[in-house]
Amino acid sequence: MIKIEGVRRNYKTGETEVKALRGIDLEVTDGEFLSIAGPSGSGKTTLLNLIGCIDSLDDGEITIDGVPVSRMDRHAKTTYRRENLGFIFQTYNLIPVLTAFENVSFVLSILGVGQEELSERTYRILKEVGLEGMEHRRPDKLSGGQQQRIAIARALVKQPKIVLADEPTANLDSKTGEEILQLMKQMNRTYNTTFIFSTHDKMVMEYASRLVLLHDGEIASDTRRE
Amino acid sequence: MKFIIRLAFQNLTRYKRRTIITSFAIAIGLMLFIFVDSMLQGAEKESELNLKRYETGYLRVLHDEYWENRLMRPLDLSIEDPDSILADLESAGYRATKRITFTADMILNSADFPEEGNLSVFVQAVDVERDNEVFNFGETLVEGRFARKGADEVVIGSWFAEDIMAEVGYYISLITRGNGGFYEVMDLEIVGIVNCPNPNVNRTLLMMPFDTADYYLGMDGAATEIDIALSERSNLESEAENVARIVSGYSVLTWRDLARDYLALAEAKRGGTGTILFLVFIIAAVGISNTMLMAMWERTRELGMMRSLGMKDSSIRLAFIIEAGGIGLIGAVIGTALGCLANLWLVTYGIDFGFITRDMDIGYRVATVMKGIWSVKTIVTSLVSGVLLSMIVAYLPTRKALKMDIPSCLHHQ
Repeated sequence: MIKIEGVRRNYKTGETEVKALRGIDLEVTDGEFLSIAGPSGSGKTTLLNLIGCIDSLDDGEITIDGVPVSRMDRHAKTTYRRENLGFIFQTYNLIPVLTAFENVSFVLSILGVGQEELSERTYRILKEVGLEGMEHRRPDKLSGGQQQRIAIARALVKQPKIVLADEPTANLDSKTGEEILQLMKQMNRTYNTTFIFSTHDKMVMEYASRLVLLHDGEIASDTRRE
Repeated sequence: MKFIIRLAFQNLTRYKRRTIITSFAIAIGLMLFIFVDSMLQGAEKESELNLKRYETGYLRVLHDEYWENRLMRPLDLSIEDPDSILADLESAGYRATKRITFTADMILNSADFPEEGNLSVFVQAVDVERDNEVFNFGETLVEGRFARKGADEVVIGSWFAEDIMAEVGYYISLITRGNGGFYEVMDLEIVGIVNCPNPNVNRTLLMMPFDTADYYLGMDGAATEIDIALSERSNLESEAENVARIVSGYSVLTWRDLARDYLALAEAKRGGTGTILFLVFIIAAVGISNTMLMAMWERTRELGMMRSLGMKDSSIRLAFIIEAGGIGLIGAVIGTALGCLANLWLVTYGIDFGFITRDMDIGYRVATVMKGIWSVKTIVTSLVSGVLLSMIVAYLPTRKALKMDIPSCLHHQ
């Protein structure tokens, strides 16, 4: 379970201080498929970054399964991310010189997984995301949707507790975006992985089992649906 | 680790043109390093050989006080009975010869020379029968013959002859002070002109028979020095100690003591050339650093992604440093190969610096062609330094990139 209590985050832009998050309280239970929505500048990405331990908050606390991750130092956060979190980015952020297989398997490499297991798990997850037969293609030989599938495979191959996705369909056409969402949803059900993704696309919001709407750094609404 | 190495080497092929250009800068730097170092080492080695063969010998026996007063060329601070010392040295297996060195005013008169005039010269009176056992003038005669024992004859250096427009058969007069301070004038016929690989000798040599000088200078058989030849493999210091035991009462100096000025100059030249090479390396280093900085800049989002996924900063740094090392390795291999090719030419043919050395003393005792030498140390240094330098200069840009916070990296455009 993710517990977010009174989280505030301010940024300085020149002389101006921007209050990105103004006291967020939120609880996310295991296996949720949660969408954080809101207009640009509402604090979606900041909230994702804080949950993902890649940013530091100014006030409040975030705990994941009782672990106060927001209090961790830089090295502890790195280790925590490596072992527990998966990320999907809007622009895929694949390594262009590596094949699909290598882009996914490197996550297991840095976890120290042995070659045989690494290979087996990578092939399996690539098959699950629909990239069987394309394992040895480089990203530039794949479509945007296929690249995002690699990114999903990369996020899931280590079977993390939580996958954080920042606008995962923003760079895709609506049909491909929907396919990606269906895939994410399917993975959510298969592995009971908590998915938290940011979006400002209504179609994407429709897929979420819970929709948290942010406005000017505050939660404007929190809706659960089935 | 395997992944890091693979990633680093895959990234080398990512920006082929940039990798090639940077490697090329390193290669040129290292090629120059090998070439210049080889030429310098070759010039130094050749200079040392030419010093020993034509100027200093390997060891020199002198009167105890001679070296302190050497600029005066004192005839009274001499070796009184050089022949007995020579006999002792010969029985101990040494090749040695006696010489008298003195300064004089050389008078050129219009009967032979186009212009009258005088100039200060440095004269070496040599034992015409033994001198070639120690020095290597045997093959250097380009005109005429060597001076005969007891004759009023002189052999001069080829450039000296050109400078004063002397020819074989001309006469020169030497005015000097003999042993005891009396004035003496010698009229000597130029009977030969020598050209040897030592520019200093070509520029200044005046060589006359020992016994002629002995007679004119009132030396009573004394010599100002005894020069000894050794094999190249000899241990100079231990041989000097051995000779000192034989010639007790006299000083024994090695060629290194005698050529102190040259060695200091060579050291200074090495320092100067080292500075130039250092600058070449700096240029290569700036190239690599710039390449890595560009690589970092372009891959900032990728860095952010890797850090998000929990890759350690040290692993990311290592990947970039290996990548830089790869660029360095390509540059080092190409540079070393090019350097060896250039050096092959330098070792075989050399560069003719005669046009400079003829009119200007550049310090080295090489008259014309400077050849290179093969140095395993230089080649290994080139390879290792190319790789190491690249890795070292990649460290700072990597460190800078890793200081950025992850969200900034991820949103970097």
